This record gives sequence, C-alpha cells and structure tokens, in this order.
Amino acid sequence: MTTLIPEKKYKNTQKTKDRFISIFIGFFALAWLFPIAWTIWSSLRPYNDVIANGVFSVPDTLNLDNYINAIRLMKLPMYLTNSLLITIPAVILTLGFGSLIAFVVSRYSFKFNVALLLFFTAGNLLPQQLVFIPLFKMYLSIGDFFGNRALLYDSILGVVLIHVAFQLGFATFVLSSFLKTIPKEISESAMVDGASVWVHFTKIILPLLRPPLASLAVLMSTWIYNDFFWALVLMKSDSKRPITSALARLQGEFVTDFNLLAAGAIVAALPTLIVFFVLRKQFVSGLTVGSTKG
Amino acid sequence: MSEQNNGMSRRTVLKGAAVGGLGIAAGSTLLTSCGSKDAGPMKWGGRGLEESSVQWHEAVAASFEEATGTKVTLNMNDSNAFQNNLSQYLQGTPDDGFDWQAGYRMQFYADQGLLEDVSSVWDEIGGQFAESYKIASTAADGKQYFLPTSWYPWGLHYRKSTMTELGLDPENIATWDDFMKMLEATKKKGLIGYALGDKGGWEAMGTFDILNARINGYQFHVDLLAGREKWTDAKVAEVFKYFEMMIPYMNTNVLDISWEGMRDLLLQKKCGAMMMGSWFSGDFKTLSQADYDDLWIVPFPEINPEHGRDTIDAPIDGLCVAANGENPEGGKALVQWLASKEGMQARLDSGNTFTSANNGQDTSSYDPFQKQQLAVMGEAKYITQFLDRDTRQDFANPVVAPAIQNFLRNPKDINKILESVQEQWDALPAL
Amino acid sequence: MTTTATNTPVRRRRSFSRKDRLTLSAFVGIPTAFHILLVWVPAIGTIGLSFTFWTGIRISDIKWAGFQNYNNIFTGTPVFWDAIWHNIIWLLWFGLIATPLGILLAYQIDRKIRGHRFYESAFFVPVVLSLAVTGIIWNFMLQPGGFVQGIMGRDISNPISIYGNYDINTYVILGIASWRHIGYIMLLYLSGLKSVDPSLKEAAAIDGATEWQTFRKVILPTMKPVNIIIIVITVIDSLRAFDIVYMIYGSSTGWPILGILVFQNISGGGMSMKGAAYAVILFALCIGPMIAYLKQSFTEDVK
Repeated sequence: MTTLIPEKKYKNTQKTKDRFISIFIGFFALAWLFPIAWTIWSSLRPYNDVIANGVFSVPDTLNLDNYINAIRLMKLPMYLTNSLLITIPAVILTLGFGSLIAFVVSRYSFKFNVALLLFFTAGNLLPQQLVFIPLFKMYLSIGDFFGNRALLYDSILGVVLIHVAFQLGFATFVLSSFLKTIPKEISESAMVDGASVWVHFTKIILPLLRPPLASLAVLMSTWIYNDFFWALVLMKSDSKRPITSALARLQGEFVTDFNLLAAGAIVAALPTLIVFFVLRKQFVSGLTVGSTKG
Repeated sequence: MSEQNNGMSRRTVLKGAAVGGLGIAAGSTLLTSCGSKDAGPMKWGGRGLEESSVQWHEAVAASFEEATGTKVTLNMNDSNAFQNNLSQYLQGTPDDGFDWQAGYRMQFYADQGLLEDVSSVWDEIGGQFAESYKIASTAADGKQYFLPTSWYPWGLHYRKSTMTELGLDPENIATWDDFMKMLEATKKKGLIGYALGDKGGWEAMGTFDILNARINGYQFHVDLLAGREKWTDAKVAEVFKYFEMMIPYMNTNVLDISWEGMRDLLLQKKCGAMMMGSWFSGDFKTLSQADYDDLWIVPFPEINPEHGRDTIDAPIDGLCVAANGENPEGGKALVQWLASKEGMQARLDSGNTFTSANNGQDTSSYDPFQKQQLAVMGEAKYITQFLDRDTRQDFANPVVAPAIQNFLRNPKDINKILESVQEQWDALPAL
Repeated sequence: MTTTATNTPVRRRRSFSRKDRLTLSAFVGIPTAFHILLVWVPAIGTIGLSFTFWTGIRISDIKWAGFQNYNNIFTGTPVFWDAIWHNIIWLLWFGLIATPLGILLAYQIDRKIRGHRFYESAFFVPVVLSLAVTGIIWNFMLQPGGFVQGIMGRDISNPISIYGNYDINTYVILGIASWRHIGYIMLLYLSGLKSVDPSLKEAAAIDGATEWQTFRKVILPTMKPVNIIIIVITVIDSLRAFDIVYMIYGSSTGWPILGILVFQNISGGGMSMKGAAYAVILFALCIGPMIAYLKQSFTEDVK
C-alpha cells in the first residue's frame, strides 16, 4: 500500500514525466472527442445558416429545433421500442447460455471441454457474411415447417436468435476466463455436500459471475443495439426494424439536411452513451479477458 | 402529353440485354379474371424513407382507401436497402404490391418466378400507356409483370441564371463544340464546368451511356451491354477519349462525392452543367421556388451526326405484384388503381413532382420544367433505362462500376481497363 | 489450475445422479445445438455453395461450378488483388500502430496518471457509437463544406479530394477505424492489467527500472494470454473489416476490401456465388489466427 520508494529524486523525475505523459494523452483525448463535439455543436445550428454563412461562421441562432424535428421524423418511440425488444432478450439469452457453458467447462472436466470452448470462440470470429445466404433460406424453411413463414424471417425472434448465436462465443469466453480465476474449492465443497448440478449453478456460480455478467451486459447491449446488418437482411417490415433504420428517415434520397442528421445521430447514440456512463465502472472491472493468474 | 406518348410508342425501348424475344401479347383476351373491387386488405411496399416520399405514399394510400373502400397497409423502406435486399424480400413475406423499376431489374425477378403476372391488369388499363411502356413491362415469357407510373429523363441540367451570366443559352448547346465552349467559359469564370460524382460507382454510368449512344449509336450500346459487342472494340475506347476530354473541366473530387454532392454543386451555383436524371428537381423546389424556376434540362449534345440526339436514358419507375404475397389478387387491384389515371392524379395532387407515365394524364398542371422534360424525351427516338438496369446485375456494379472509377483515376490506363472488363464479362457464368 | 483428465482427485469423487447428468447435458447441449444450427451449418453451407453457380433463389437452379468461381476471382478479377492489398495495409496499420497505441494507453491509464478517468471515457466513447452514427460524425468532418475542408479554406466548389484520392484515403479510413479500435484494445488490455499483481510493479520501481523497462520486462510477459487475444482480435478484425468502408462507400468498390466484395456479390439482383467464394476466402484467411488462438487456449487449459 504505502510506497516504499527510497529515492526522492527518482520520484520527482517520475512525477515530471507523468505530467508530460498526462498532458500528451490529454491532448489526444480532446482530439478524440472533437468530432463528436463538432457534431453536437452543428446539431444546434440550422442547416441554412451554415450554407449561407459557412461552417465557421458565428451562428445567428442556436436552438434545439433540429432535435425536435429529428425526433418527430425518426418515429423514435417505434424504433426505440423495437431496439429494446431485440436487445434485451438477446443479451439475456446470450448471457444465460454463456454462463451455462462457462460453468460446465470450468467446473467439470469432460474430454470435450477445451474443444467446446474453442468451438464457440471460433464461431464468434467467423465473418457474418459467411452465414447469411443459407441462414436466410433456413429461416424460411423453418418458418414453412411450422406453417408460419414469418416465424423467424421478418420477426424480432429471428434477429434475436442470430445475435445470440454469434455473441455466445465472446460471452462464453469471458465468463469462463473469469471462472478460472475463482478458486475451485468453493465448488468442490458444494460437490462434496452432494448439491445437484442445478443448485451448484444457481446458488454458487451465478452469484459469483455477477461482475463479468454486468460488464458483458453493457458491452453486448451496445453491440446488439448498434447492429444494422441482421435487421436489414432478415427483416422486411420497417415497422419491426431497430433504431438504425430511423436514421435513414433523415438521410433520405432527397435533400439532406446535415445538421438535422447530426441531431438524429446524437439522439440515436444517447441510449448507449447513457448506459456506458452509468455503468462505466462495470465496464472495466467486470471483464477478465484471459486470466493472468495462473 | 398524349402526343408525346404517341411519339414514344414508335420508339424502341431497350428491353434488357439478355432477353431474347419481344413476345408482345398480340391478341389480348378481354376476359379478365381479376380486378374485382373487394380484394380484401392488402399491403404496399414503398421505396424511400425520407419525409417527402413517405408523405406522398400516405396521401395516395388514403386516396385509394377512399376510392375503393379497401384497407391498404404501407410498408416504407429505405430505398437503397430495399434494392439491395429485394431478392430476400420477394422470397420471404413480401408486400402485395411494391415500388420497382422496369427493364432488366424487373425481368430478372419475373424469370425467377418471384413476380405475379399482371397481364390481366394490362388488359384492363393497358390503353392508358404507350406501346413502348408495354414492351418495357414485358418479361421473356411475353407476359407483363410491371405497371409504369413515372419516368425521368437523363440530360444536362443547367441553371439558367449561370448560363445567362456567361452569355449562353442552354438550348443552343447542341453540339460537342458548343459543349466544350460552355465548359471552357465556365472554367474561365472560376466555376466547375461539368459536375460529376462517382463515389457510388453508378453516377458516372449516365455519362458513359450517353457518350456511347451519341458516338456509336443506340444499337451498338444495346449490343455492348448484351455482350454481342466487345468492350475491347476501338469504338468503346473512343467513348472514353471523349470522356477524358471532359475531365479537366470536372470538380477535383469526383470519386469523393455521390449524386447528392453533384446536386449540391448545382444547387449552390458552383457548376455549369450536370448530367443527371431529373428526379432530383424536387430538391430545388424544396429549397425555393426561385431555384426551381432557374433549373433547366436539355439533351446531351450531338457528337456523331449519324446518330444526332436520338437516344436517351429514361428509367421507368412503377409497380410490381409479388408472387409470394398474401393477397396477389389484392396486389393487382392495388397496382391497377395506383397506375391508373385516377391514382396518378392522386399522386400529383399530393404535391409530388414527377412526370406521369400515364397517357391520359392531364398535363395542364405541369410547370415549364416538367414540360421541358417531356420535350427532351420527345426528341429521342430510342429509350434506354440506365446501364445498371440494362445489363446483368453481376456485371454492372461489380465490374463496370470499378472500371469507370479506375478510368477516372487513371485515364491513361483505359485500354488495360477495357481489356479487363471484357475478360470479366467472358468469365461470367451463363444465365 | 484447471481440472483436466490428468488432474484426477476431483474427478474420482464425482458420481453424477441421473438428474445431474441430464441437467449437464441440457446445459451444454442446448446452447451448442443452437450455435451449430445457426452459425456452423450455414457457414458450411456457404462453403459448399461457393463451388456452384446460383442466383440464391431457386434451389433447383444450383449448378455445379467446381473451382470456377475461385478461378474467376484469382485470375479474372483485378479488384480482388486491390482488396487483398488493402486488407494487408489494414492489418499492418492495426498491428504496428493502432493496437500498440491502445496497449500503451491502457498501461498509462492503469498507472492512474492524472485525469485517467476522463481519458478512459474519452477513448472509449467512439467504441460505443454505432456505425451509422460514426459515419455521420466523420462525414461532418470530411465532406465538402465540412470542418476539415473548411480549415483548409476550401468550400464545396474546390474541395480537396479525400475519399477519392488514393494517396490519402487509405490513411483517412485507417484513421477512422483506429478511432474505434484503439479504445476497444485499451479496454481489453485494461481489464487484463488490473489482474497483474501490483507488488510486481512496485518491486520493479524499487529496482529503479524506468517505465519503459517495467512495461517491457514486467507487464508484457505477465500479460501473455491477453497479448495473444489482442493479437487475434487485431488480425481478425483487420481481415473482417467491413463497417467503416461500407459506411463511406456503400457497396461500391471505391476502396475495395474483402468484406465489401462479399457484400457486393451477395446483395441485390446481382447475387452470385462468387460472393460465397469471397466469403470462403475471407474465412480461410481467418483460420490461421484462429488456430493460433485456439492453440494458446488449449495449452493454457492443459497446463
């Protein structure tokens, strides 16, 4: 805890250096945020003002009109609801399945343990486009088999499932890495006590997994919320599509009002930004990528 | 207008490269099986998610419900995404009627059995369209799968005010020499002579189409796109020679901007001429009526006197009925009403600026720019759709688009580029 | 530490009841079956389809093509080699510049330098933004009439070429890609760093080691498993790159890259199994790093 550094001199040069480093990184951090800040700034100005007076002009008016218009044109309630209907179940299912696999793989030893883990991780690394054509055909045939073509295709369920299938690899990987860092004794005592597998999982493992589950929940909801590919190719009804479709309403084939678009972009990004800032601590603290404690 | 359309019926419409027979249904049966008024609730797949498009679709759908008493549900889609996913859309659970395009893009899906035969609708309201539209709506099996609603000509768009400042009149820019003089004059004035964007890969195809048609004629153009002529032909290289002459007068960022960027250059009076389909004119109107009144279109100038100005790219937009829809009969009733005089009038009344494909349309409400579009169209003897609608889809975008982009980057490499295009055509699998 | 077949004590004690066996099978079986059905079956299907001619519509139209799609790509499609070249540049950039920067950043932030909380958030925000939003933001910066052109005194009539200029567009695209990648790598590395025993770092400091020496001699070796994961992510993401290029150029080949070629050939009416062949080539390139990663995990677990 207490620093035991004997040499004051060393400490001082290190301090100066650190200050330099901090300023240097700070400069980059500001550069990193600048495009976002510029977009927010632009979103407060009317487009015609920019066209007439140039990008660097001092604005005549600064107001929230672009936001009001963007929210109206984007049909925000509808798309936001769809996004939540896709994201929340997909995240829950992914984490549920991921915990199950991580639990079995890290607490029981079967011959196929490693293979299983590798198999899921490899699946996560596949390019999405590789599965698209057959998946589409499969969704249709499964739907036809159950007498409802819209069972998986053009349905929120179908999009949820493919997200789960793809993200499962990453979740399994992070969760099992985390479990590896937890002493086995905790589980062993449960096994000795003769607790059933189900009890072992629900009463012992799941509570332990809370930190990585929280951080994964944040990461995965960001990814799934932001996806545009699957919702686009597997859904035909615009009324079922997620928020990524809302921006298309502003982008239009005809006159594009860039400042309105900026406001729309900020609105679309807000939910993930809020989730991120609220749960910022979980983001890092819960992730254990590759255990370093051997 | 009716005179215009009668004129058009004598002209040839490029039917799409790979289709062999014309197969016009000569003896149409008068016994119609569909078109019953109470066809049940139906769905309409619309293209264009932007406000203006959603508005006119909703207005027309409301008029339809009022006129027929049948409920129609609108499903609006982002235009590009809709086009990219049409194959999946039609295989899955499509809307009954949907916005689509004539020519090869329609024929491909008709051949694949994904479109519903709408010959019966043609039997009922076919009289409202010129013969050339019927040809453009006909697939390889001789049946109709498409109903035209609107079209727009590709031509040189000018701002009258900019040309007046240069002491020029767009109407008098009729030959290549006039055209080059105009480019020179705009450049001297510090403006861009010829605004071009090709980020999307398709925009510059319009320029290629028209140069090829002007220099080598309609027949060569059609044959080239159908693979009956070779891209390595000196005639094609000649086209790019003319194209190259225009490059010094273009904006410096051709590959940076898409068609919106071109439009903005004209909108903000930064350029002389722009080759584009007239569909964007509504944007001028949105900006202001004065800007719209300033807009003008003329046909691309003559290059080879043998061909004059006899060809034009004029893509036809319209409607199809999906074979896999829940209610194909309803879909037919829907597209029949939408494409009819009545439906078209409802669309005009909603404030949408477009030129109707319907013969019987009352054109008295057309403004001068719309009338000029008709005049530009009227001058042409041959109508083509557009390069990416007139040839194989696995050729247009994957092969021709990058080839033209490469040409714009390195015009000197054109022979190598054309050789490669031909090689890639030869390597395509037979259809 | 992990139990394996050789580590028997735990194993011997285990006797599963029938119910437990059922539970365990369900725990593993359901997610696995699901994953196989939705990811691996279609993936294998695509590999098969890459040897055919097909428009993706009627099953009966599938025609055997042998290696013709591949032959066509390798010998008759110049844009393919451009794409490969871009993927390689992407990989080099990420591997030599973006990823190391993310790692160094994580290291500094982990040392809790002044303002580390703010920095952590600042660099991570781009990772949270969606592709569409990123696209809009960068368009704002780079389009004619936008910020960057404005700084250089250009308006929309005389902008400098950015996306269309082959001398600079590569760097611009990689810059935007790094804008997101660096934050992601930083996050992953941070999560690894916090499990490094702090006494190790302190010991190094007492020895009078410089920061660089501490990082190189102490941190990097301890972080070996994380390093491998980051290398794999860097390689795979470079190969799979699609989003940012799609956002700038759409499905056109303004800056060809493998992911775009796949998309271009499987979307629209132009769907052909050449697209499937591109996807398989992409997959084949990803296999190498995947195996490297799998091997690492495997040895980890056996240890």
